[in-house]
Amino acid sequence: MLEIRWHSRAGQGAVTGAKGLGSVVAETGKEVQAFAFYGSAKRGASMTAYNRIDDKKILNHEKYMNPDYVFILDPGLAYTDDITANATDETKYIITSHLSKDEVIAKIPALHGIEDRVFVLDCFTIAQETIGRAIPNTPMLGAFMKVSGMFELEYFQNAMKSVLSKLPQKIIDANMVAIERAYNEVH
Amino acid sequence: MSKSIHDMGWDELVLGAAVHSFKEEIDYNPSQVLPENRDYAETNSKYKYVGDWRVFKPVWNTDLCIHCQFCWLYCPDTSILSREKKMIGFDYDHCKGCGICQEVCPTNPKSIIMFTEQTEEEEALNQWPEKKGSK
Amino acid sequence: MNSKIMELNKVEVWDGNMAATQAMRQADIDVVAAYPITPSTPVVENYATFHANGYIDGEFVMVESEHAAMSGCVGAAAAGGRVATATSSQGLALMVEVLYQASGMRLPMVLNIVNRALASPLNVNGDHSDLYLTRDSGWISLCTFSPQEVYDMNLCAFKIGEHMDVRLPVIVNQDGFLSSHTAQNIYPLQDKEACDFVGEYKPLNAMLDFSRPVTHGVQTEEDWHFEHKAKQHDALMNSTKVIAEVFAEFEKLSGRKYNFVESYKMEDAEIAIVVLGTTYESAQLAVDKMREEGIKAGVVAIRVFRPFPLKEVSDMLQNVKAVACMDRSAPGGSVGALYNEISGALFNSPARPLLSNIIYGLGGRDMTIGVLCDIYRDLDAEAKAGKLNGSIQRFVGVRGPELKYYKV
Repeated sequence: MLEIRWHSRAGQGAVTGAKGLGSVVAETGKEVQAFAFYGSAKRGASMTAYNRIDDKKILNHEKYMNPDYVFILDPGLAYTDDITANATDETKYIITSHLSKDEVIAKIPALHGIEDRVFVLDCFTIAQETIGRAIPNTPMLGAFMKVSGMFELEYFQNAMKSVLSKLPQKIIDANMVAIERAYNEVH
Repeated sequence: MSKSIHDMGWDELVLGAAVHSFKEEIDYNPSQVLPENRDYAETNSKYKYVGDWRVFKPVWNTDLCIHCQFCWLYCPDTSILSREKKMIGFDYDHCKGCGICQEVCPTNPKSIIMFTEQTEEEEALNQWPEKKGSK
Repeated sequence: MNSKIMELNKVEVWDGNMAATQAMRQADIDVVAAYPITPSTPVVENYATFHANGYIDGEFVMVESEHAAMSGCVGAAAAGGRVATATSSQGLALMVEVLYQASGMRLPMVLNIVNRALASPLNVNGDHSDLYLTRDSGWISLCTFSPQEVYDMNLCAFKIGEHMDVRLPVIVNQDGFLSSHTAQNIYPLQDKEACDFVGEYKPLNAMLDFSRPVTHGVQTEEDWHFEHKAKQHDALMNSTKVIAEVFAEFEKLSGRKYNFVESYKMEDAEIAIVVLGTTYESAQLAVDKMREEGIKAGVVAIRVFRPFPLKEVSDMLQNVKAVACMDRSAPGGSVGALYNEISGALFNSPARPLLSNIIYGLGGRDMTIGVLCDIYRDLDAEAKAGKLNGSIQRFVGVRGPELKYYKV
């Protein structure tokens, strides 16, 4: 069972991202789960989304999770959310920030000593420059592919094309560029 | 359904207390057939006698009536009998004596006036008021 | 079938709300009258989108309240159409008056209830307060534990309710957020398969049947009211036959088997919990952990909440020593509803397991595998001691001093 927790602000596409990832993974024959907690939260409020991925039917409906990966979609949340909650000794973190990896880690004591499990990229700038909107969800998934090695970049891009198929072609193409840039820029 | 609803147990009733208007399926448009020729079901309100609710009854003065059909239109119990747009009388089995027909009658004096239930029709017509003069 | 077909993948990733909407779309409904409310909003939203994009041939009516939504459904069903809607919590509370009209008038329709706590305090998350609010409403009530089951039960619901021997409205329950907003793998039927399974709608005493004019919603006082309610109850009780047939037919079509009472590892279980909703699936993981600890645990869930499967659930619990009935709803001054049902089911049977009542998960409070394991360990201790640990009812997962009632 692979488990992922997304830290995001309502409106940044964490739910769409989690469902999109679920759709891609489901096509490979695995069982997936994607859910979120936002209650009656408004756009901008902190929220979390979750993925579970397994080879057999997923029966677990608890919200509690020991995540294998934690995605932080908003730079501010890296400081204000409890991003290491219920983490294990192997939990990996992918953080979006305009700061360098060292600068990010320096400001978050919880990440000290686990630098090798922290990965940073600037999803906002990538999304802004490619898609034209600061929606960090698809770049985050591109970075996740690099960090996890779950799928080859090209395979993932093709799978995402069908997930995004309802969008205009221009937006789909821009997302593909965003995924590739994130894949290459995460470190 | 030959059995009366009064003799039916729970298992024999129409489900959902749906009430059919007619005994059988009809192959005509009811609006084209006079009520007396329609084959109403036992549960139709046609067979629900409410005439004894009445304290005052409407009496019709044929000499004054202009057949405007106001009473027919306004009667809440469809108890004004009318044929070919001419009033022909009351359905005293269903009239509850509300007096709306008298209220809406536009003639002077009124062509329909409410009298106590025991007043004979002839007696009522003899007491009919005069035309109200304009001053 | 709708004139425009939607090609579906063998595996779709849908949340419970989308699963409900897709089944509704495939069922070729004549009228959906709805007023959206969290967490069932997406059922209505998705349906409106399908309608706007030409995938729905029927009518979609936005009304001014849930009371009006159910009233619209009653009108359309009485007119002779296939009808459905969705709601939650406060919306259901406003709808309740008309629920009794729908069942009393014997109008088949499907209501998706995405279970959510009732205010106050206001809360949008899942518990079973609204499910319990429909207990005596005369509707058939089906429970689901995952998005796949939401899809499956929706298709079955139309077929059950519309059967000429039943003619009753059907509720499909799912947990707010835990099912409604949780996307999982769904193995749907293609449109034609699903539509053929549900079948053509057959009207009965339809107001639009001009050859047989009919009045619906009549008044009956002490002269006939009792007989009509008796007939309604009889139809509800005897709907079990049709429910079993529809489940069997659905299994043939999909390979997915449904029972009146679902269970996991009850064959040799010594202790058991009885639950509703997604907790059933989570509890299976707890059961597996308990078995590793050598504790023979099992879990039972009610699939068909109404008509209540009294005998089936009693049979299931004949060989256990301790049972916890878990109610996800504030009990309002008594034991929980499920505790009442289960003790009633067992009373005329030989078995006398220790029977306790756990109140949990109110307003969406997480029920973790860890807590479920703790509950099993407590049950195991009670079973070994041969008596309840102090009281019949206790609250699990609430902050503050221990909360227990009905000392034994």
